Amino acid sequence: MSVAAYGRLRSKKRRNRTMNLITFVVVVLFAILAIFPIWWIFRTSLMTNAEIYKYPPSLIPDNWLFSNYEKTLKVFKFWKYLWNTMVIIVPSCLAGTFTATLCGYAFARLRFRGKSLIWALCVGSMLLPAMVTLIPLYIGWTRGLGFSDSYWPLILPYFCGGGAFNIFLIRQFIMSIPRELDQAATIDGAGYFRILFNIIMPAIRPAMIVVALFIFIGLWNDLLQQMIYINSSDKYTIALGLTNFRGQLKSDWSLTMAATCLSFAPGVIFYLIGQRYFVEGITLTGLKN
Amino acid sequence: METINKQQKRRSRIFSAEARVAYICLIPAFLGLIFLTYLPLVGVLGISLTNWTGLKSPVFIGFDNYIKIFTADPYIKDSIISTIYYAALSVAGSMIYSLFIALLLNRKIPARGFFRAVFYVPYVLPAAAIYVGWSWLYEGNFGFFNYVLSELGLKKILFIADSSYVVPSLSLISVWLAGNLIVIFLAGLQNVPVVYHEAAEVDGAGGWKRFRHITLPCMTPIIFYNLLMSLIANLQVVTPALALTNGGPGNSSRFLTYLMYDQAFVNYKLGYACATTLIIFAILAVFTTLLFKTSGRWIYNEGGDDK
Repeated sequence: MSVAAYGRLRSKKRRNRTMNLITFVVVVLFAILAIFPIWWIFRTSLMTNAEIYKYPPSLIPDNWLFSNYEKTLKVFKFWKYLWNTMVIIVPSCLAGTFTATLCGYAFARLRFRGKSLIWALCVGSMLLPAMVTLIPLYIGWTRGLGFSDSYWPLILPYFCGGGAFNIFLIRQFIMSIPRELDQAATIDGAGYFRILFNIIMPAIRPAMIVVALFIFIGLWNDLLQQMIYINSSDKYTIALGLTNFRGQLKSDWSLTMAATCLSFAPGVIFYLIGQRYFVEGITLTGLKN
Repeated sequence: METINKQQKRRSRIFSAEARVAYICLIPAFLGLIFLTYLPLVGVLGISLTNWTGLKSPVFIGFDNYIKIFTADPYIKDSIISTIYYAALSVAGSMIYSLFIALLLNRKIPARGFFRAVFYVPYVLPAAAIYVGWSWLYEGNFGFFNYVLSELGLKKILFIADSSYVVPSLSLISVWLAGNLIVIFLAGLQNVPVVYHEAAEVDGAGGWKRFRHITLPCMTPIIFYNLLMSLIANLQVVTPALALTNGGPGNSSRFLTYLMYDQAFVNYKLGYACATTLIIFAILAVFTTLLFKTSGRWIYNEGGDDK
């Protein structure tokens, strides 16, 4: 290596190091900005009303009033709402993931008549915005099948293939698994379902977890459907309960923020547990075009 | 050769074991496609041509609903404007923000995983709770943003209670929620071949040049994907109006989907609401088609492996 090239390499290394340092500082600043709203909500939940309205506001509560949470839990039926939400989410995630896997397997591996037509219908439905079918579905569920004030209209759709996007995701993933694996199993006398359960499913576990996560987030964020299908307050989900609670307690910000923090908690815990899969999964969807 | 042909013939038959398994696997999806997608799509068209209120049986009234929407609806114009305004701000804001953050996180900095989590976490919180939480930050007198404004010597703003600020304020929340876009961008960035960068560096290309001529072109498919998803999601915006503003103040946040919700589930004008739905659908279709049409011009396909 010539002296000049060596010098260039060194200066490049130094430049890189300063660039990384600058990047790090910028990332820290943005991370603080991103996390700040959550902190502000949390610190409010631990304050007295007098302290909330103090000027200038303090970043950290004077004395951490965890008793606000006790007070909130008396009015805001968090555990009830959490249970109701889970009653919707858990079966939906399981059924949606399972049925999406079945369909994805059929599209990825099996040959049958009408495949390209069914596939086209499936992909086509992906471009259809959810709100287009909202009213006919509402009429169908409530008038046609009599599911008023019930969780079924929120759960049952996930028993029907788990959504085109998820089927698509699973299919892409199965296609990336070498066919030799199934062929070897066929030679050993395994049937199609055996192959699906014993070979494909273990191999696509990350994709299945991702589908479950997407269903979770979808239901977690969908206030509109919960609002139109659920009426009685003892059936409220977290989203409905909180929206309603805010209306009740318009100006008691510390209790409202305590309720908000309680509603944040399951998502954060869930995320911390499944973090690896979350990132892996969303990465998958980005790459598989 | 003949046996293969025979085998293929046998396999292509509907009742071959393979096809039978496939049909069994597809039963759920098939039911879903019929009863949750295509039948409702026909239904929404049909109901939109009636005056159904859900009480009496529907009467066919032709295109009256559509005519009324365009000539006599007091909300539709504001709704279209606020929806497009919201979507434009949210899509642009979240695309720029998430690409920027992804570029930062793509560099070798310490605790990358931790920072990725920080930017991603808002996405896993329930949307309703996010809006309630942010309504406190936006509060008129004691909210955090107004504290900052008054410290800077500026006038206080009623972020979500002032019709000229409500849409940008809500868009800011949606930018904050763009964690999933960041992760997808990051994935894309990690797929940009390092050799290109190295080659360009040898040729003396600086950071900006490399971004402009290598990173950006390689990222166009991902940018397109994120743009499309974010456009579809943001044009259907409804949660902030449901959780927070009820379409107000005035009609300034009466987004189209909220308008539809209001007509169908508050005023029980089901036929009219279905007609509104199809207008939203048409607007969405126009924007997504435009995006698809123009995409050919700016999407870079490496090796042209375009499927």
